[in-house]
Amino acid sequence: MPRLHLKTLMTDESDLRDLPQATVVRQKHFRLSVVWIIPILAAVVALGIAIQRIRNAGPVISILVKNASGIEAGKTLVKYKDVTIGHVTTVQLSDDYSRVLVNAEIDKHVAGLIVEDAKFWVVAPRVSLSGVSGLNTLLSGQYIGFQAGKSLKQARDFTALDVAPVIAEQPGLRLRLAAQTLGSIGVGAPIYYRSLPVGQVEAYDLAADGKSIEATIFVNSPYDKYVTTGSRFWNASGIEVNAGANGVEIHTESIVSVLIGGVGFDVPDFLPPGEPAAANAEFPLYQSRAIAMTVPDAIEQHFVLYFNESLRGLVVGAPVTLFGLTVGRVAEVGLSYDSTTLNLRPRVLVTFYPERVSLNLTAKERADAALDVANMPLQARARVLRHLVEDRGLRAQLQTGSLITGDLFVAFEYAPDAPKAKVDWSKEPLELPVASGGLASLEAKLNSILAKVDAMPLADMGTGVKNVLSTLNQTLKQADALFSRVDTELLPEGTQTIAALHKAIADADRALLGRDSPTTQDLHDMMVELTDTMRSVRVFVNYLQQHPSMLIRGKKEEKP
Amino acid sequence: MERRESTASVSGPACNKVKSAALTAARLRLVSCESCHLLLRAASADEPGFCLRCGEKLEVRRRGSIATSWALASAAAICYVPANLLPVLNTITPQGSDDDTIMGGVIFLYTSGSWPLALMVLVASVMIPLGKLVSIVYLLITVQSGSFKSGRERTRLYRIVVFIGRWSMLDVFVDTFTVALVQLQPLMSVTPGPGVLFFAAVVVLTMLAAEAFDPRLIWDAQTPLEDAHD
Repeated sequence: MPRLHLKTLMTDESDLRDLPQATVVRQKHFRLSVVWIIPILAAVVALGIAIQRIRNAGPVISILVKNASGIEAGKTLVKYKDVTIGHVTTVQLSDDYSRVLVNAEIDKHVAGLIVEDAKFWVVAPRVSLSGVSGLNTLLSGQYIGFQAGKSLKQARDFTALDVAPVIAEQPGLRLRLAAQTLGSIGVGAPIYYRSLPVGQVEAYDLAADGKSIEATIFVNSPYDKYVTTGSRFWNASGIEVNAGANGVEIHTESIVSVLIGGVGFDVPDFLPPGEPAAANAEFPLYQSRAIAMTVPDAIEQHFVLYFNESLRGLVVGAPVTLFGLTVGRVAEVGLSYDSTTLNLRPRVLVTFYPERVSLNLTAKERADAALDVANMPLQARARVLRHLVEDRGLRAQLQTGSLITGDLFVAFEYAPDAPKAKVDWSKEPLELPVASGGLASLEAKLNSILAKVDAMPLADMGTGVKNVLSTLNQTLKQADALFSRVDTELLPEGTQTIAALHKAIADADRALLGRDSPTTQDLHDMMVELTDTMRSVRVFVNYLQQHPSMLIRGKKEEKP
Repeated sequence: MERRESTASVSGPACNKVKSAALTAARLRLVSCESCHLLLRAASADEPGFCLRCGEKLEVRRRGSIATSWALASAAAICYVPANLLPVLNTITPQGSDDDTIMGGVIFLYTSGSWPLALMVLVASVMIPLGKLVSIVYLLITVQSGSFKSGRERTRLYRIVVFIGRWSMLDVFVDTFTVALVQLQPLMSVTPGPGVLFFAAVVVLTMLAAEAFDPRLIWDAQTPLEDAHD
């Protein structure tokens, strides 16, 4: 067995040679090449940028706008306080094709501001007479304005406002005005308080029932404190011209308001200022300052007046004055027919505001409750009136307010010589006695003047004048005779005198200035002397010119 | 030179037949200097030594060619994404700033009517870098899988990739040119975007990857170097 074993071994040994020999292969140790740093680095950088982009991506919001004019995807920016906070990514039509859906990506750091009541609007250049706004958009193109909201609820879908909320976040007071007509008030029209612009009209719209205009105005702080419950607002548009019984009155706030309109407000003098107005309080908008400052008077009393003269020139609204102060207005102008007497009379219904009377009292009297005409009981007021009418002779008169326009107004004044009037105090409205006044009294005066002229003895005066004239004629004739005598008797003598005078002058002429007169002779001699003197002077000057040294050295002896 | 060598050693269309029969320089332990192309006898199979004439380190095949090429190509591929997504040019006008990507520029050119220009930019800036990248990856895969098909075509592809590589820098050139020229400060200014850096990286990396790739490897499938050791 051992042999066998050996043999087997040997055969095995020889067989082993047929087996393939293992080769020494150099260990390919797995070694990451340095080159791989490059792709890893690239990957890290690229990933870093990608992560940064994703992390910085803010919310995408959609804004519904009316039209996309000036809005471009990728270019139009969203700005808040002039800081870019996002940009428009896409512009497309809304689902119903009626509006434009603008998608904008908002920066992440302002994502917290995109809440429910945030406001968006398209900022376009707006040029109006009250100012130029959004001028920067002329160069930069339009952008979407943004105003942060106060809500805490995030939102992503918004509808753009038509106009920018003009006073974004400015302290002040927002009010609503109700008006019959808009007048010429536009968005941005100024609000005036004592001609000082203190705010502007933000928006206006037709009221829900379509019968009035509702305007939203904003009064800037600190002027908002002047808006009180007693404030009256009026349309200060353009120029207000009142040509009435008070004369021609022109009123305007400023040139701007003349051009683009405006709203004025103030508290009427007769009203207490009241409490400061609440936000969004509604006020009526009066058509003019005059109307705003007068109506409404709380207490009204009507009187009827039957005049005996023409009412031409008296219109509804004409003032009713008491000693020249306006205390009411004409409410109706018409006729009255009395069926029993078959009499047709002009009838005027006036509205009297008792408050106006107490307003014109002195402060002390006003403070006295007993004199408060407005608030005294009706009976007491009637007693006062009765006294004035019956004892003092208070009468209504028609007076001319303006000679140019011929407007009339009703004036209550004392007429001491008026006949005592009987007033039925139980009637309603009360009928007050009238006195002819104004034009009528003027007519009466003119009539009395004419009557006096008529009464003059014009015929006698005529004969007197005739006598005077004939006397004058005689006197003139005598004067004429006198002049003719002067002519015939005085003139020839005058002529002789003049001739003698002429002769005397001729004699004197001959004696003094004749050829052989001694005067002439003397004059001639003097002229000859003068000529000699001038000659020797000339000789001397000539010599001096030739010998100027002579002045110093004297005349040289001429050598022979 | 290598190319000529290759074509010389593999003559004719019958590539498969010359696989083992052909005599190659590597088999004779000869090595050509890559710098001065002097044909030398290698010092040893593992370390061919240095060129006698110019002192260049001799290599039978470029060391780590495939790994380096892969690394650079993948880096280029990674950079290609931000190069196309990030803006290459940032135009600042009073109307705001405007970021332009390469594709954005192509689309703008096309929509504004100049489609030939759009095509040019598309080809030069988008398709060529991508084509180069795909070509290098294709070459690497085929070499690694030991494919011996269409070696001539692959070699031609490699030559095209190397030739075309430098022209892709045109984009970067135009970009820098524009940035330098358009500085009308109050009205308009142009700044380079981050995309242009990545784009330049893509171009440089693909060029380096093509450079790192040893085209001789294409033919090693037909005449493996291992034969030389035996």
